[in-house]
Amino acid sequence: MSSFELICPAGSPAALRAAVDAGADAVYLGFRDETNARNFPGLNFSRPELAEAIAYAHARSVQVFVAINTYPQAGNLAPWQRAVDDAARLKADAVILADLGLLAYAAEHHPELRLHLSVQASAANAEAIRLYREAFGVRRVVLPRVLTVPEIARLNAEVDVETEVFVFGGLCPMAEGRCSLSSYATGLSPNKQGVCSPASHVRYEPRGEALASRLGGFTINVFGAGEPAGYPTLCKGRFVPGGGTSSDPAYLFEEPTSLNALALLPELKAAKVCALKIEGRQRGKAYIAAVVAAYRRALDAFDRGLPVPALDLEAMVEGGAQTTGAYTRAWR
Amino acid sequence: MKPTLTLGPVLFNWPAERWRDFYARIADEAPVDAVVVGEIVCSKRAPFLAPVMDEVIARLAAAGKEVWLASPILVGSDRERAAMRDLLESDLLPIEANDMGALALLDGRRHAVGPFINSYNEATLAWLAGRGAVAVSLPAELPAASVAVMAKTGAALGLSMEVQVFGRAPLAISARCYHARAHALHKDGCQFVCANDPDGMPVSTVDGQPFLSVNGTQTLSHGYLALAAEIDRLRAMGIRRFRLSPQDLDMVAVATAFRAVLDGARSGQEVMAELRGMTAVPLENGFFHNMAGAAYADAPAA
Amino acid sequence: MRDPGFMVQDQAHETAPDPRARDVEVQLTRAGLGVARRLGDRAGGLLFDRLLRILEARHPRAFAALGELPDARLLIDPVDAPAALLLRVGPTLALRVCDRSAEAEATVRGPCARLLDLLEGRIDGDALFFRRELSIEGDTALILALRNTLDGEEMDLFGDVAAAAGPLRHALPVARRNAGRALDLLATARRFAPPPLRWGMTMLERRLTGPRQGA
Repeated sequence: MSSFELICPAGSPAALRAAVDAGADAVYLGFRDETNARNFPGLNFSRPELAEAIAYAHARSVQVFVAINTYPQAGNLAPWQRAVDDAARLKADAVILADLGLLAYAAEHHPELRLHLSVQASAANAEAIRLYREAFGVRRVVLPRVLTVPEIARLNAEVDVETEVFVFGGLCPMAEGRCSLSSYATGLSPNKQGVCSPASHVRYEPRGEALASRLGGFTINVFGAGEPAGYPTLCKGRFVPGGGTSSDPAYLFEEPTSLNALALLPELKAAKVCALKIEGRQRGKAYIAAVVAAYRRALDAFDRGLPVPALDLEAMVEGGAQTTGAYTRAWR
Repeated sequence: MKPTLTLGPVLFNWPAERWRDFYARIADEAPVDAVVVGEIVCSKRAPFLAPVMDEVIARLAAAGKEVWLASPILVGSDRERAAMRDLLESDLLPIEANDMGALALLDGRRHAVGPFINSYNEATLAWLAGRGAVAVSLPAELPAASVAVMAKTGAALGLSMEVQVFGRAPLAISARCYHARAHALHKDGCQFVCANDPDGMPVSTVDGQPFLSVNGTQTLSHGYLALAAEIDRLRAMGIRRFRLSPQDLDMVAVATAFRAVLDGARSGQEVMAELRGMTAVPLENGFFHNMAGAAYADAPAA
Repeated sequence: MRDPGFMVQDQAHETAPDPRARDVEVQLTRAGLGVARRLGDRAGGLLFDRLLRILEARHPRAFAALGELPDARLLIDPVDAPAALLLRVGPTLALRVCDRSAEAEATVRGPCARLLDLLEGRIDGDALFFRRELSIEGDTALILALRNTLDGEEMDLFGDVAAAAGPLRHALPVARRNAGRALDLLATARRFAPPPLRWGMTMLERRLTGPRQGA
């Protein structure tokens, strides 16, 4: 019996096959529209592709979770409701939802469908989680990245719901689903359109040897000559705290860093966390294959009581530091 | 129905005396109908306000204001959970819930849903109304088309629907304190540096362009959201409550100006001009007009 | 949501050929671009139309997605090759060789090897932005859409073309396997050969690469 389920991202059928083949226990994905929080150009699944994906995964005893985790647009609920209906019809193993109205719809119309609460619902305390359990029969909660491991342990002792935590990949420093920074700069937000710092509003601008990255009308970062450039995700930019030119630009919200909680496996197990999640539906299949395989090796070693191998990702991970994020108190 | 002018909670870390005096003046002079009080951003600040809280509530109530207690935005740590439970134990005042945990504890009690609970559509409103909500304050990022649908559904559900019409737009909340981080401090030893910025700490881009405002764990817009010129449109949609979020300027004057628009005594455009004269901070209304929140769109003259 | 801290190298051991074979392919591509430009618009155009049709037959999902994009031109500029490519996406999908100053809605500029990785979806999406060796101008969303679409395929440009081109179907795997040795031999020979012979080798390469690229 494994200690954890390994939940892996897929932004395309090819990425799903890569994740399944590399050892995922479950793959999460979304439809190709605004109903999911990775609504990026060229990504995600049509209905026939989801059917094929589920067939491929189920043939290999891997589950498929469908993320329908944006907030349905007022006056236009149909696309979200249809997404839930289709996920149920195509025999997805669970849907990952955030919106109260959509949870109520799914609970009413698909009582057999397993409901997971998306990280975008940002349910960070036992009282909130119990409410989702009692009101909608939610079986699992993806915890927001604001809790320390001891807080997660106490929470698990209090609630009768499985918990899933992010262990690897991008890290929102803000409580998920409660952030309008992207729409403040561009008009498009994770909650409404399923995009954060959308590429449609990104421009790279050479400034001599330096390279500026701009989002909407705002310069999010300037990279010196030779410095690795970053995508201008708003909260990972350099800003001047205090305003004007009162101090040097700094990574005020978050460094360009990536979450890696591999070192916390014993603590997460003791905290009774059920599933570990890898972020990155927007990433390439090569990345997904490598990260999933590395985590699979680490979890297999952990289950056998062997020393957990350091992730062999150094070769493919450059530049950015890794962090255990909010799971340790020092992050705050 | 007479529209309600609501004063939202003070979001910034003001010294207790200033906080008390602010509300005393609101009680005596501001033409607001409802006042929401409470420290909703950081549980570390709450103990400073506790000694003057009863006095403030009594003063506001005596002035005929409808007083609401607001629950914290982010409740994760044990301290935050304890604070939330303490707040909800008292049933002397109605509660405005800003987190799903608070909403859970309010089951069956009359309550309001604050702008920090994600109410994005009519299905969510129906669920909230079914649990005893009597008012819902909409998230700042909602565009006019969504507000219109929700105002209509909300009215049919018996909900008093509210929109923020003045003050920095709340954009994000975190477990991490950016005020402390900007001062190279840890949240646990923050020295309450957020008190240095009673209107938020300005944050500009690398190019020196004003952009955001940091208030401890909260991030706000740099500009003041201002929908004075959209009030008639909001009322026509069925919005009944209009929220002012306190800033470090003459809030009695701001409330008086908005009251005049609600009463039909002054035009929204005229009040926008007055607001521009009161502050160097730019006024923004982009969210409502389905643009970047930081943008400003000229509303058609009423 | 995105994480700019990561740079992911292409995973040579997954779908890519041996790195030495990639060197050969890079050289072939460069030579091919030179040949195509010399062929002019008509003959070169026919060549690229055929290339697109071969790829479309093998990757219908990607081509359907590219066809659904708004009409736009993407300039793909391999800085170490004699010419650039203009990819038109949207209802009238087309690929043409062009001058590197051609007008386009978006431009990706970088070494030929990187761009081949990009075309075959072998670079992680975000990594594309981090490598200063690749520069991006104009419509970032268009570039991202193309990259995500190609990443959704198991695309192997040379393998696909070879598979559709009769005899090369068998020749390519052998060539890839032996690429390292062949390159070594070529390099050694070039180093020691007298100038006229070197010129001859270049001609030989051209003769080899021309039809192969256009196959």
